[in-house]
Amino acid sequence: MRRALMTLAPLLVAATLVACGTGAPTSAGTGATSLPATPPDAQLNLGATVNVRLTLEPTSLNPFSTAGAALDQLLLTNVYQNLLTVDVHKQDAIVPQLATGYDESPDGLTYTFHLVPNAHFHDGTPLTSADVKWSLDQQTAPGSLGIYAANFASINSVAAPDPRTVVITLKHRDTWLLWNLTQREGIVYQQGTNFASLDAKDNGSGPFTIGAWNRGSTITINRYNAYWGAKPKVATVIFHYIPDANTANNAEQTGETDIEATADPTLLQPFGNSSSFTVLNGSTTDKFTLAFNDAVAPFTNPAVRHAIRQGINNADVIKAYGGGIAIGSDVPPQDPWYQDLTSIDRYDPTNARKLLAGAGFPNGLSLTLTVPNIYQTAITDVLTSELKQVGIALTVKRVEFQTWLSQVFTNHQFQLSLVDHAEARDIGNYANAKYYFGYDNAQVRNWFAQAGTASSDADRDALLKQVGKQISTDAASDWLFLAKTFTVARQGVYGVPSIETTERFDASGLAVAT
Amino acid sequence: MTALKALLRRPTGVFGVAVVVGLVVFSLVSLVWTPFDPTATNPDQGWLLPFSGGHLLGTDRLGHDQFSQLLAGAREALLTAVLAMVIAAVVGIALALAATVTPRWIGATVVQLIDILIAFPVLLLAMILAAVYGGSTTTAVVAIGIGFGVNVARVARGEINAVRGTDYVLAAQACGANTGRIIRKHLLPNIAPTLIVQLSLTMALAVLAEAALTYLGYGTNPNTPSWGGMLAEQQAYLSARPLLVIWPGLAVVLTVLGLNLLGDALRVATDPRLRDAR
Amino acid sequence: MIRYLLRRTLLLVVSLFVASVLIFLLLRLLPGDVATTIGGLRATPAQLAQIRANLGLDRPLTAQYGSWLGGVLRGDFGRSQLTGVSVSAELATKLQVTAPLVGGGIVVALLLAVPFGILAALRHRSSVGGGISAVAQLGIAVPTFWLGLVLVLLFAVELRVLPAQGFPIGGWQTPGAALRALVLPWLALGLSEGAVLLRFVRSAVLDVLSADYLRTARAKGRTRVGALLTHGLRNAALPVTSMLGLQIAGLIVGAVVVEQVFALPGVGTMLLADVGNRDLVKVQGEVLVISASVLVISFAIDIVHRAIDPRLREVG
Repeated sequence: MRRALMTLAPLLVAATLVACGTGAPTSAGTGATSLPATPPDAQLNLGATVNVRLTLEPTSLNPFSTAGAALDQLLLTNVYQNLLTVDVHKQDAIVPQLATGYDESPDGLTYTFHLVPNAHFHDGTPLTSADVKWSLDQQTAPGSLGIYAANFASINSVAAPDPRTVVITLKHRDTWLLWNLTQREGIVYQQGTNFASLDAKDNGSGPFTIGAWNRGSTITINRYNAYWGAKPKVATVIFHYIPDANTANNAEQTGETDIEATADPTLLQPFGNSSSFTVLNGSTTDKFTLAFNDAVAPFTNPAVRHAIRQGINNADVIKAYGGGIAIGSDVPPQDPWYQDLTSIDRYDPTNARKLLAGAGFPNGLSLTLTVPNIYQTAITDVLTSELKQVGIALTVKRVEFQTWLSQVFTNHQFQLSLVDHAEARDIGNYANAKYYFGYDNAQVRNWFAQAGTASSDADRDALLKQVGKQISTDAASDWLFLAKTFTVARQGVYGVPSIETTERFDASGLAVAT
Repeated sequence: MTALKALLRRPTGVFGVAVVVGLVVFSLVSLVWTPFDPTATNPDQGWLLPFSGGHLLGTDRLGHDQFSQLLAGAREALLTAVLAMVIAAVVGIALALAATVTPRWIGATVVQLIDILIAFPVLLLAMILAAVYGGSTTTAVVAIGIGFGVNVARVARGEINAVRGTDYVLAAQACGANTGRIIRKHLLPNIAPTLIVQLSLTMALAVLAEAALTYLGYGTNPNTPSWGGMLAEQQAYLSARPLLVIWPGLAVVLTVLGLNLLGDALRVATDPRLRDAR
Repeated sequence: MIRYLLRRTLLLVVSLFVASVLIFLLLRLLPGDVATTIGGLRATPAQLAQIRANLGLDRPLTAQYGSWLGGVLRGDFGRSQLTGVSVSAELATKLQVTAPLVGGGIVVALLLAVPFGILAALRHRSSVGGGISAVAQLGIAVPTFWLGLVLVLLFAVELRVLPAQGFPIGGWQTPGAALRALVLPWLALGLSEGAVLLRFVRSAVLDVLSADYLRTARAKGRTRVGALLTHGLRNAALPVTSMLGLQIAGLIVGAVVVEQVFALPGVGTMLLADVGNRDLVKVQGEVLVISASVLVISFAIDIVHRAIDPRLREVG
């Protein structure tokens, strides 16, 4: 028996050592960090298939009434289109998509959009202003089940005076309108679309059509050869939904995938020193937010909130996650109302302990942190360790996302919560006293309301800057960091999207060398 | 006592006992002393090799001292094994008795219930418990305990039926002994050897099941150091840092092996027929 | 025999019914519902209420159970509350991965357990027997997911002979690719399961070897192996098959883990996702099918036992 035991250890070691010629891990690759420009068509394989690893599979392919960022990631831009879209390479600038441009009336109440001449849906029907009107009407109709339908509450009416002109009339100024038109709720569907049928067959106007959905595994999109705009340079893109970071890494290393989106930044060592791969990193709107239940004790006392913020070293949390930046509030740098607020509640464990003592907890306190089990444990490991240093005994409760939704988000039964608030421009959550943050500051609510109806973007941005600063000064939450996203691309693949790819993975620029 | 002697006469028995003793000693030591705080992270001290910076087995990516985590993990493993065993024993014996010493129609119903519960995946139970209460050792242990308890019930039922048919139980019944007395004096002592074997195997399986549940995200809480958690966390770095996964892996393998061998040795030691034969 | 068959069938039906109630109620303990999966973080309470009404989630539980059971009795497991896809159709698709996975796993396990188990029993006093038992003990002690990860590292990442993950998009229309995708999962599942089974084979054969009828056969001049082959194996097969029946539930859980390690789109992966999305009509269909297959298998094993073993027939 004992002899058998002795042979075990070398066996296991051998099995694992074989695979360890990959050198020291680095947090990000040391190889090239940007891709060369896409070569001319003659050097490309226009019939290529690109295999892409994504993380989270959509729950449905009906973007009208099913929530989930995975739907946006797959469907926006690739399959469905909006009047306007977001240019991630230009700091999220709002740019035309189905519209050639728009005119805004001086009072800000009327927007006139001019459509591109040749757009059509995948069934061949031309896309006209009637389709745009119908789509927006579905959102604003009473009792609409459209996701984010509420974002169009300011719309009074939509008119289609001629096939290529759409006029949106507002009840009041709405500085969010154009942004909202770039998002899910602004998708232009064919008039009369039965949304329930979109799961079976798409009918968008984008450069790709949905091929097959192999549930639990892959979704294939095919180039739409009659696309009205510049046609994609690859024939097929297969999205492989592989949640496990390690499995995804293996798939990329073995060539089973060409692109690994949202790669775990702590696992990039096999790609960093290799000339066969490029590791791209890009910005996101993923704000990892440590929320306090501001409405209940002990968080009703701002000193406790400040103490927790000062007890956490954001640099350590970022290192544990693998890549990101400190932002100090709910605003990422690509938003026009960004300002560097990292000086508020800087890491200061000594002061944190003092603050807790002043708040009536000289011997520290015990708190429970509810976190969905989709996030890596490294972040909460660091929080546990660092908060212990200032006298807070943290219990981490890992739950399914749905349980988090039910207990924390809906019923507000929590003390601390950690989720990635991935939605762009979501600072309005802090102006909603009923939101799970439980944060209620009348001044902030006022500023935010004024920003929504401000007469210029500059006015809006100034007001939102005040909001951003106030919520940080109040320590409404702790914004641990803004994540960076890492994308691994195999050599010979061009046009790989790398910025904000969890919001939309724009496959239209992909190309493969022959 | 003779059983223990018989146990220690066999090398597998010695090994099994040594593993259990080791597990208990590790757990007790971890209660009063670990070289470092097992939950303390230190990003500047990540990926340390063994014997550097005072870290006997080195550190992981976040700077957790691996030896301290291993020690504290022993506590969690012991807790998992023992609690799952206790729950399995209670569930198993209760169901087995309900299936045998009760009136025939109740017994038949319980037998069916046992069959149904055996068919119900433990994993789903663990998921439901983890969803409602948050993943933790407790929820994992309850799911594992119930899951294996029904298996224990099935085995114990067979044993009880066999014992009930024996002459001395029939004689006791004829003398008017009540059911409770028969259970205490005759049934339980007679099925004890089988039960002990089953339960020691349950302990082994519980340690394995906990590791699997933790890997799937429904097991032990990540800020409680556990071997399953260490494995789940380190598996991603398997190719880059093979040493790190060796320690918790070895700990799990040795513990499961020890508990299994203990069960086997107990079977032989408590079964006179087998003791003579082999 | 006919009476027994009837009674056993009736019991099976009752068990299935009880299992369906149990599954239905247990799943209702889960926090959250499919409406929040559909509506997401921005849905208004009115929208959520509307979604629930559309799905019939606002009806009393008894009514919901009734319509589900009614459907199941007609062979209709209902439709996904998220995508509207038929549960039976999707189960059928996923079973094309999981059934071969579990089946192949059992085959690998048996190929390992039977010959080596018999060998270990025949040579139980020698170092060969001891060695086999020791390796089997180790095999049991290694977590399945762990074994899978090491296999991937060796055969996929280093040697590049087999895929690291996934199942071909065409499924079994590309049989070569499908088989290659399943080799490592089969090994991971089969090695773990085989180690467990080997011990039962060994002890069953040991029991048979010391049985009187075998001694008699040998006294009549048969060799030990010859006697075992003609008389013993049939008897040894009984406890092993019933053990295999008991292991089925464990094997399915093992398959869930293996599917995760290899990112296989099987029933286990689907089940985890559906529980996560609270697509309960799908979940209850899936769990019912899993539980029912275990019940039916143990039913079949009972019947087979009775047919093989004349002693059981008399007991009633």
